[in-house]
Amino acid sequence: MKARRRVSAGRIALFATMLAIAVAMLYPFWVMITDSLHTQSQFISGSGFSLGSWRQLSAALPVGRQVLNSTLICTVSIFAILAVGLPAGFAFAKLRFRASSLVFLGVVSAMMVPLQAIVMPEFVNITRIGLTSGYFGAVLVYAALGTPFSIFLFTTYFRGVPDELVEAGIVDGLGYVGALWRLVVPIAVPAIATVTVLQFIQIWDDLLVGLLFIQNTADRPITVGLAALASGRTTSIPQLMAGSFVSALPAMLVYLGFQRYLVKGLTMGIDR
Amino acid sequence: MAAITFDGVTKIFAGKPAVDSLSLHIDDGEFMVLVGPSGCGKTTALRMLAGLEEITSGQLLIGDQVVNNVLPKDRDVAMVFQNYALYPHMSVAQNMGFALKIRGESKATIAAKVRDAAEILRLSDYLDRRPRALSGGQRQRVAMGRAIVRSPQAFLMDEPLSNLDAKLRVEMRLEIARIQRLLGVATLYVTHDQVEAMTMGDRVAVMRDGQLQQVARPQDLYDRPANDFVAGFIGSPPMNLLRAHVARAGDVTLSIAGQSVTLPAALASLYELPAGGEVTFGIRPEDIVVGQSGLRARVERCEALGAETLVHLSVNGEGASQHLVAKAGPRTTIAPGDELGIAFALEHAHFFDLTSGATLRVGS
Repeated sequence: MKARRRVSAGRIALFATMLAIAVAMLYPFWVMITDSLHTQSQFISGSGFSLGSWRQLSAALPVGRQVLNSTLICTVSIFAILAVGLPAGFAFAKLRFRASSLVFLGVVSAMMVPLQAIVMPEFVNITRIGLTSGYFGAVLVYAALGTPFSIFLFTTYFRGVPDELVEAGIVDGLGYVGALWRLVVPIAVPAIATVTVLQFIQIWDDLLVGLLFIQNTADRPITVGLAALASGRTTSIPQLMAGSFVSALPAMLVYLGFQRYLVKGLTMGIDR
Repeated sequence: MAAITFDGVTKIFAGKPAVDSLSLHIDDGEFMVLVGPSGCGKTTALRMLAGLEEITSGQLLIGDQVVNNVLPKDRDVAMVFQNYALYPHMSVAQNMGFALKIRGESKATIAAKVRDAAEILRLSDYLDRRPRALSGGQRQRVAMGRAIVRSPQAFLMDEPLSNLDAKLRVEMRLEIARIQRLLGVATLYVTHDQVEAMTMGDRVAVMRDGQLQQVARPQDLYDRPANDFVAGFIGSPPMNLLRAHVARAGDVTLSIAGQSVTLPAALASLYELPAGGEVTFGIRPEDIVVGQSGLRARVERCEALGAETLVHLSVNGEGASQHLVAKAGPRTTIAPGDELGIAFALEHAHFFDLTSGATLRVGS
């Protein structure tokens, strides 16, 4: 009985801690939502309710267009990351070629380079080839930044896929490309979901690349729009909160949609 | 359907030959078992035939065609893997029909062939299931089904029963042999289990350290092993291999741990026994009669297997003692510590060169 009581007390303490962490994590969202439902004067006085800041937000910023821009940039970048990461991960995990370990080490070490360290050379390069007007320059930079991580993750995942599965496909009549797309990719959903979610959140939340590499105002993503909103001479906090909420929502939805794969994807390979 | 020929095939891994000048012919429709201990090169030989490993030198033929540089998909061979390698995201029917789908056959043809194979393999009720919803034996049958539907030139099987429990393994052994005979396709079956080799193969090829030791029908392999390795590998428990000194003074006499055994002249004439030299004397456990007369031996341990008892003995005398295993009846009174006599059924004895291990039988 005593042991049972101790376990229960332990569980209560655990749940209390988890609840406290959950509240601490969700509190900013609560503040964001409640503060956005005020006008500026209501926000200062601390009372009242209004949807005015939401109306003002759509007047001050092309929110819809900027969310669309962010979505397009994220989608194309992630497609590029997957298109490179999947075959590269497959090659590193399943094919024998000269100096593969060295090349893999080189790719993985690229993960350690922070964006800030290479942003100026990247900017010069992208400007020289004239890709700063539309999305394409930013997409290239995001793809280049996200690919090493995706290669690392896919390599780890594919090393856990039995060689015999690929060999069975090859004896059945597939080539390596066929074996990748028809046999390995369908069972790599957790890894693909992990790369997708992590890259989506990173790209969606990024400000620096959007600010530097997308010169055309109409093509800018939502994070750049919010930054512009915050840097005005007079900043409306409720309006900024409404914009922040709109910006945070897609990343949250993507995370919630894929979160059941995330744990599996992030812990894969550790049992081998 | 076609014959398979390995003609001096060699595979070198990191400077060391994994398969060394393998020459082996498998007739069309023949069930050839490639057997040997771990690392002997048997799986490498199979993988070279499948096209999954490149050949360092030699020629590999399927039918009349040299396939050294032919891609796996163009060799028209079907392979059953040790871990089955079923496609986990496909149903049983999709797994079985996948190769036909890649080949571009019509849906109706694929469905008909899958249905026929499923009937042969008694899988008709499981066609819509995913592999994870099947038992080990069923998965094994699906792997077989995947090979069957293709009607290939040859079946290649890489220890397909090693993941099954003992009872199921016996059932599947019979099943695979039945299907192979039904279809009449040349089959190369790799195993380390000599019981599978003896019971399934039309012929058995024994490998060791990348080299082929002997190819023969199972009973010939058992009765006339080409060397002491084959003699010790085939048979359970294995043949007893004892070091013996040969003396020729009228009769030929063997001295085993200082105790003498006289060989009948008819037997001695079948072997080239070096007078005054040493040989390896081979005798199978069932060819040892445990009783009162013969060599003196001490019982070290008894293993009662139900139908028979394995008696572990040591023969002591001059020089080092030698150990051997004999078979006794199921309810024997022999006990550890007993001193008794052992006699050999010498007409079934074997003699091997002490250094090379090759049989000393005349004409071998």
